Amino acid sequence: MPEVTVLPAGWALAAAALLGLLAAAAACFDGYLTARTTGTSSSGLRQPFGEVARLMRQRRRTTVAADGLLWRIGGAGLLLMALMIITVVPLGRWTLFDLDVGVIWFTAMDVLAWAFVWLTGWGANSTHSLVGGYRFLAHGLAYELPLMFALVAPAVGASSLNVGKIAAAQQGLWFVVWMPVAFVVFCLGVLAIAVWGPFSPALGADVAGGVTAELSGVDRLLFSGGRYALLAAGAAFAVPMFLGGGSGPLLPAWAWVLIKTLVLLAAFVWLRRRLPAVRPDVFMEAGWIVLLPAVLLQDLIVAVVAAARS
Amino acid sequence: MGLSEALGRIAVRHAHVLVAEVPGHWLTRAAVERHVLARGWRLALSPADADILAVCGPPCPHLSEPLHRLWEQLPGPRARIQLESPQAVLPALLAAEQDLLDLTRQRADSRDRSPDHAAPGQAQPGERHPHEGHAPHEAHGHDHSHERPHCGAEHADHGGGDGGHAGHGGMGHAGMAHGGMDMAPGGIPLAGGGEDRDGLEMDLLHLRLGPVLAYWPAGLVLRCTLQGDAIVDAETSLVGVDDPAAPAQARPASEDPRRFAARRCDNAASLLGLAGWDHAASRARRIRDALLFTEDRDGPARELHRLRRMVGRSRSLRWSLRRVGPLDVQQTADRDLPDAMTGDVRDRLLAMLDRAAGGIAGQRPTGPSSGVPVDAIPDLVRGWDLATARLIVASLDLDPLVVDREVTHA
Repeated sequence: MPEVTVLPAGWALAAAALLGLLAAAAACFDGYLTARTTGTSSSGLRQPFGEVARLMRQRRRTTVAADGLLWRIGGAGLLLMALMIITVVPLGRWTLFDLDVGVIWFTAMDVLAWAFVWLTGWGANSTHSLVGGYRFLAHGLAYELPLMFALVAPAVGASSLNVGKIAAAQQGLWFVVWMPVAFVVFCLGVLAIAVWGPFSPALGADVAGGVTAELSGVDRLLFSGGRYALLAAGAAFAVPMFLGGGSGPLLPAWAWVLIKTLVLLAAFVWLRRRLPAVRPDVFMEAGWIVLLPAVLLQDLIVAVVAAARS
Repeated sequence: MGLSEALGRIAVRHAHVLVAEVPGHWLTRAAVERHVLARGWRLALSPADADILAVCGPPCPHLSEPLHRLWEQLPGPRARIQLESPQAVLPALLAAEQDLLDLTRQRADSRDRSPDHAAPGQAQPGERHPHEGHAPHEAHGHDHSHERPHCGAEHADHGGGDGGHAGHGGMGHAGMAHGGMDMAPGGIPLAGGGEDRDGLEMDLLHLRLGPVLAYWPAGLVLRCTLQGDAIVDAETSLVGVDDPAAPAQARPASEDPRRFAARRCDNAASLLGLAGWDHAASRARRIRDALLFTEDRDGPARELHRLRRMVGRSRSLRWSLRRVGPLDVQQTADRDLPDAMTGDVRDRLLAMLDRAAGGIAGQRPTGPSSGVPVDAIPDLVRGWDLATARLIVASLDLDPLVVDREVTHA
């Protein structure tokens, strides 16, 4: 069984850079897909870089009686969350933070999205922003519990909350194979914390951009970058939890982690084009009536199997 | 070459454009959207996200104030262009690009701007009131009806919303003349309260949708009174519409079926965009562009058929839109709405696409007045939340509120 090596803290910068690369790859892919449907002459692959240049050049703006401090905290928070999440994700043999309760760490981080997205909506003191913020909370009420119970399944299956140990427990069979419901619910949760695809009503066109309606310049850059980073971090976290971590033929473990992350990330990005937004009130029904019982049943099955094994 | 110039050069290749349509100039808007997207630029949803403000149509005195307010909200570097016909679009976009790159000019612009409109106590009259809301677009809902006549009709059925306004000393300027008694430090009057559906006291917030808003019928203003995000009361008015009798009712008998179909596609694109399905919205928009700016007939028909099939088959769209804004036969009859309006938002979307297909096939639009009167809107949106109300308005498949004033074909 491969031992996990904890790297010195200085490597955190490299991890952050890697997360940045993954987020940039996701944004490039999204730009490419968008360019294809809108019929743009260019490939759209350079879209994210142009967007960064544009937002770096744009002035920050503020609104009347804005809650400046909370607004900025919310806007920068998503990126921070993503960085925190990847500290516990092992890249093959290496990890930054070999936490015994790594799964709880992820959960603690993903709950922060509630605060950060809502604060971004609140801070601008603008009706549309605030409506967007509350829409996110409504989505949160529906996705959060199923997401947490989905994370219980691999933890029970591996009898550990340590992300490295959970990855190691999948040497024979990946958890995604016998915990498909938990995996799907986890993916939905990741889309939701990144306010992505079907979970984007908080940023909807019907509320003029919602939470982002009043953001400009570097504030908007941090928020949008944070969303891509969260998507990437969520995909990276799914790899040790459900997709067997670094296991795979020929290539070294770290390469397999990256490949699996990129494939899942591409699937997330692609999904946005396929699905319309899900209105929070409708999703509330699905979250409580379908997802939660389904994922609890999944947990039960996993628990019975785990008990029978030991 | 300095770093900022290099940055600027990359940045303008990805400019975001906020499109403001003067009623009667939707063809110009369509041309702007088409050129913007073809260049790899993006359409902005709010002024905060925009670099370029593109006004489609000649200046209208009653829109100048809202447009000025909108312009003030662009963060900068910024450029403003005025387009009077679809042919003028491309040169104007190129000019705007140059304008964004002109550092001297942008510096002067940012120096001369009114100091950040956020400074406490300096809020411009009528701007960003909490009771007016101040999300991006409704900010222009600044209403001058008490100063000069509207260019359009002001058929406001003043309902219960009045109580709310009165509590703040009227709208617009008057609100600022108010003493300090119900002012927050920002110079903003506090929201008044009212009973909600359950009889509990809840804040009333006044929000204006329109006249300039993405995926919104140009010239229409919907003044909503919100509790939370539920619309408890609403009233409509029109801005920039000359002939109050004209809107929506009388469709010119000689209307080109192709353009009729294009308008349906445009409305479908709005509805799909509001439903958060950008992919389908882009496809509807491309069909519209093909109908308006090319002579091709089979291509758009085929594409429309595919889109209709994709939208019809989408389970998640059905699930998300079901039971939204339902109207039965009785209700449509009572409100003088066309029969095509029965069903929920999804049914109306599919009917819209079918009408578009009929238009491409050369069928003349039927019925002398198949449009929805704008007066009916408040009644339809009351009780729904903001997002649903937007979907309902978009599902009404409104014709332009003014007969097209443009020269056709770019």
